[in-house]
Amino acid sequence: MLSSPMIELQHVWKKYSRSKIFHRSLREDIANIFEIRKDKKFLTANEFWALQDITLAAHKGETIGLYGPNGSGKSTILKLIAQVTYPTTGSVKAAGSIAPLLEIGAGFHKDLTGRENVFINGAILGMRINDIKKKMDSVIDFAEVREFIDMPVKNYSSGMYVRLAFSVAIHSQADIYLMDEMIAVGDEAFRKKCTDKIKELKGSQKTIFLVTHNLALMEQLADRIIFLERSQMLNERTITPQPPPLRDPSPSS
Amino acid sequence: MENSKKNINILRYQDLFLIFIWKEISVRYNQAVLGIAWAVIQPLSFMLVFTFIFTYVLPIRVSDLPKPVFFYSGLLPWTFFSSSLACAIPSLTNNYNLIRKIYFPKILLPLASIAITLIDLIIASLIFIFLLFFYNISLSGNAFWLAPLFLLLILFTVAFSLFFSALNIYYRDVNLALSTLLRLWFFATPIFYSLDRVPDQYKIIFFLNPLAYIIENMRQCLFTSTPISVNLFLAMLTFGFVAVFLAYKFFEATERKFADVI
Repeated sequence: MLSSPMIELQHVWKKYSRSKIFHRSLREDIANIFEIRKDKKFLTANEFWALQDITLAAHKGETIGLYGPNGSGKSTILKLIAQVTYPTTGSVKAAGSIAPLLEIGAGFHKDLTGRENVFINGAILGMRINDIKKKMDSVIDFAEVREFIDMPVKNYSSGMYVRLAFSVAIHSQADIYLMDEMIAVGDEAFRKKCTDKIKELKGSQKTIFLVTHNLALMEQLADRIIFLERSQMLNERTITPQPPPLRDPSPSS
Repeated sequence: MENSKKNINILRYQDLFLIFIWKEISVRYNQAVLGIAWAVIQPLSFMLVFTFIFTYVLPIRVSDLPKPVFFYSGLLPWTFFSSSLACAIPSLTNNYNLIRKIYFPKILLPLASIAITLIDLIIASLIFIFLLFFYNISLSGNAFWLAPLFLLLILFTVAFSLFFSALNIYYRDVNLALSTLLRLWFFATPIFYSLDRVPDQYKIIFFLNPLAYIIENMRQCLFTSTPISVNLFLAMLTFGFVAVFLAYKFFEATERKFADVI
């Protein structure tokens, strides 16, 4: 039933530098840029592991929750999947288009209006301009910001901001969605709307990665939860299916 | 395989490129009363100041051309070059929250900066056309050389922008040094003087400056019938393509680390 995975991380190690300023020495920097330094598993005084030996795979239609304390590596995994950053060793493979939900500040320009930001955000998510125009009304309606859409987003409340970002992302028709602490921000009604939408995306065979500190919510949405602590995978738990939903749960493809 | 995937990516992101250009223009002229007139103000004000200084303060003959035409013809390409660099070099660091969060071809940011400055150049060129009519100057038959020389200007602008915008991610000193460097570079380029006035033994220094070659030859092809040296041009063109290639390679090699370092 399961085809090749949409996302595959194999023995991924990711190293970060603690130093504020990047350059320790110019020679070392040049060596770093062109990756001349041989032993990648070696840590210098200022480096630490953000991820150690992470192996996981996500298939079509699967929703995976990443759970763990702050600094355990959840967001780093999302960044690796989004190809924003690359592993120190190991491999990351993605077999589809990816839509990370942009957090506050990223992708939005505060002086521009909501409508203008929808164009910017949509284009960054790989949408064509015509496509954005076509979906504009639907984006605005889902975010429930109709009366504020032509106002600069610097005057938005944080809830409006997040609703708009979430709305653009789910309209981008990606195969893989990365949701980092998004749904926690909105109010009760919008959270309900988001969880419904996530279930709908699951129903249409999208792959979803979910990061939240709300374990109850995660258990409700995820098929599997991966527990992380201090940059390592502790264990993995498959969530037993919810009480039978109304629609036929067997995947069609 | 790797290559064809890259091409699809670039095609997929052509709309993003347009959006970046449109966004920069919207942000720049947002709440600016004079709006697009700012594209003209920089070269025009410099031209007026130079004309004043070299007419009343230091009254010397700079060339056979009317002073406003002479100064403006040098200021146009220079303004394009320096504004492109000033805009492109911090373009990556200005968008750090985007780079840290989502994948897109980073090269679009410095290239969009150059494209915006190109629009400014086109607007500022209208003043130049007006000046030509005003002083009743007819262009020489060599004027078609302007197009290849302009290509050269674009090549060097792209090369410097790509290299220094990527380097600025690692060392913010680049952007800090930029305004001083551009000011010095301005004086080292024949903008308010002509290369003829430079003593022969120092001329060699100017050949190391591609902008000196471009501006001097742009003036020569527009206003004189002295032919442009084809061999020298081809040498500069090769130099320009090599510079773009090397800058692009540097950009590509460092791009993967942007999000970690920025």
